[in-house]
Amino acid sequence: MSTPTEAGTADREVARSANTFAGDVWVNFKRWNLKAVRNPFVLVVSLAQPFIFLVLFTEVFGNVAGGAVSEGLGPGVNYTTFLVPAIAIQVALASAVTSGIGLVNDIENGMFEKVLVSPMNRTAVFVGKTLAEVFRIALQIAIILGLGVLLGAEITTGVVGAVGIMAVGIIFSFWFIAFSNMLAVLTRDQESTIIGANILQFPLLFLSSAFLPLEVLPNWIQLFARINPVTYGVDAARAIMLDEDVMTVLEVTAFDGALNTIVPAVAVLVSLGLVFGAGAVYLLSRASSSDVR
Amino acid sequence: MSNDQSIADAETPRDHSRDSSGSRVESAKHISIDISGLELTYGDGTEAVSGVDLTVGNGEFFGFLGPNGAGKTTVIKVLATLLSPTAGEVRVNGFDGRTEPRKIRESIGYMAQETSIDPELTAEENIRFACEAYGVPRGERDERTAELLDLVDLEAVADKRSEEFSGGMKKRLDAATALVHRPPLVFLDEPTTGLDPKARNRLWEYFQRINEQGTTIFLTTQYLEEADTLCERLAVILDGEIVADGSPADLKRQVGGDVLDIELGDGSEARARAATIAREFGNFDAATVEETETGISVTTQAARQSGTDLLVALRDAGLMVTGFNIRAPTLDDVFLAITGERVDTDGGATTTEEST
Repeated sequence: MSTPTEAGTADREVARSANTFAGDVWVNFKRWNLKAVRNPFVLVVSLAQPFIFLVLFTEVFGNVAGGAVSEGLGPGVNYTTFLVPAIAIQVALASAVTSGIGLVNDIENGMFEKVLVSPMNRTAVFVGKTLAEVFRIALQIAIILGLGVLLGAEITTGVVGAVGIMAVGIIFSFWFIAFSNMLAVLTRDQESTIIGANILQFPLLFLSSAFLPLEVLPNWIQLFARINPVTYGVDAARAIMLDEDVMTVLEVTAFDGALNTIVPAVAVLVSLGLVFGAGAVYLLSRASSSDVR
Repeated sequence: MSNDQSIADAETPRDHSRDSSGSRVESAKHISIDISGLELTYGDGTEAVSGVDLTVGNGEFFGFLGPNGAGKTTVIKVLATLLSPTAGEVRVNGFDGRTEPRKIRESIGYMAQETSIDPELTAEENIRFACEAYGVPRGERDERTAELLDLVDLEAVADKRSEEFSGGMKKRLDAATALVHRPPLVFLDEPTTGLDPKARNRLWEYFQRINEQGTTIFLTTQYLEEADTLCERLAVILDGEIVADGSPADLKRQVGGDVLDIELGDGSEARARAATIAREFGNFDAATVEETETGISVTTQAARQSGTDLLVALRDAGLMVTGFNIRAPTLDDVFLAITGERVDTDGGATTTEEST
C-alpha cells in the first residue's frame, strides 16, 4: 500500500504535530474550564442553592434537628457539622447537571460536529470535558467546606478529611454526570435536560440521609434511602467528616470505624458510576458514530 | 513555507485529473476527491444518494448544486467522514473514507451549513482551539491565529466574545477555524446562506484568495450567481444522482441557445396563447418555451436572428408586447432546464414546479 496514498499526499505535506491522547484531553479540559470561567452564572448558581440550603437549614432546623442528630451520633455533633457533608454532595449533584447542559449546547451550536470532523481522539474529547467538570466540582466542594467551617462545622479528620470529602464528591458525581449526558443525547434539548435532571434533585436529596438521620424518618423513606445513591454519597462524606461509622442502610463491620461506612459506600458509588458511565459511553459513541440512522 | 508548496499545486494543469492517459499513480497525485458508486440510504428508507461518481482535481474551485433535499449535504458529510456510505468507494486526499477517516480529518477543512462556533469564546480563542484541535505546532499557533484573524477581517474584535457577532462575522470566524491547519481541501456547505450581499461578497473574496493559494474548494450553494462567479467546475445533483457536470460556460451552452424574454400586457390567457404561437413558430428548430409571471420566455439557438419575427407574429395575433429582452442563458436557466425547478435566490429556497 505504498504508492497511491503516499504519492497523493507527499506534494502537499502540511506542517502539523500529530495529536496525542493526552494532548487532546488537555485541549478539551482547557476549553471547558475557559467556558466555566466565562460563564460565572453557572458557577454561582450551582453553588448558590446549596449554600442557601446550608444557611437556612442550620438556622431554621438547627435547634429542632440538633436533638435528633445528637441522639443518633453522640452529643458532640452539631447540626452544621451534620449538614455540611450533605451540602457537599448536593453541590456535586447540582454541578453534574451542567455536564449534560454543556453537551446539549455543543450539539446546538455545532461545536459537537466540529469536534467530530477534527482529528482529535473522541474518547479524549469526552475525558477532557468530564475532567473539567470534576475539577470544578472539587473546587466547589472546597468552597462549601470552607463556608461550613466558618459557620461552625468541624471536620474531625482535618485537611486530609476535606480532601477525602472532595474525593467522595467526585466519585459520587460520576453517575449523575453520566445520567445528565444520557439525557442530553436522548433529548438534544437544553430545557428538557435541565428539567429532567433538576426534577430529580429534590426527591433524591430529601429521601436520603442528607438532612436528618434515617432513624427519625418514616419507614418508606428509610426504604427508598437504601436504593438512593445520595445516601451512600452523604454517608461516606459524613463518615469522613465525623470519623465515625454513620451508615445505617448497610451493616458492615469488617473494617475499622469510619471505614465501615466509607468502603461499602464508595464501592456502591463506583459500581453505579460504571453502570451509568457505560450507558453514557454507549449513547455518546452512537451519537458520534458515522453510521447512518 | 508551505504556502509556496500550495501555490505550486495550483499551477498544475487543472484538467490533469481527468486525463485518462495518466497512470493510476500519476493521476492520484492530482485528485482531491474520488467518489465511485456512492450510495447512502437513511434508516427510514430515504435514499439520499443513489450512485454518485465524481472526481475533483487538486486546486479546483468546484461547485455542487442542487435543489433542497437533493443530497448535497449528505455527500459533503460522507466526504467529511461524518456519515458512512451504504455502498461505494470514497477517497479524499488519497485516503480511504472507510479505513482512514482520521487521516482525512487531518487533511480537510469543513464548514458546516449551520455556523459552528463556540459563542462563549472570543474570536481569537475559537481559532486557537481549532489550532489545538488540528495539532498546529505550538510555535506556529500565534502566527497562524493572527494571520487568520487578518484574513477574515476580525482582528479588531479578536478579544470580543463571538456571541456578540453579526451573522456575517460568525460565518467568517467559522471559515477561519476551518483553515487553521492549511488544509489542501476545504468543504463549504452553503457558506453564504442567510448573509446580506455585502457580507457575501467579502466571503467570496476570501474563498477566492485561498483558492488562488492552491486550496481545493468544494462548495455547495443555493445561489447560482455565487456558483457562476466562483466555480470553475460545477456538478448538479438531483434526487441523489449527478445529472450535469462541467464548467459554468459548458452548462450554459447545453441549454441550447439564447433566451428571449417577452413581456405581455394581458393576462394568463394571453400568455398561454403566446406560448402556443412561440412553440409552433417555424423559424425556431428546437425552442423551449416557458410561461413566466409577466409573459413568456423562449430559449433557442435562433433567438437573436429570428426573435423580432416572433414579436411581429405575436402582434399580428393581437397580443400586446410590452417589453422584450434577448440574453445569454444564466445558470438559473441551466438549473431550470436540468431540474425543472427555478431557484428562488431571495429566500434561498427553491420553488418547485413539479414538472419532473
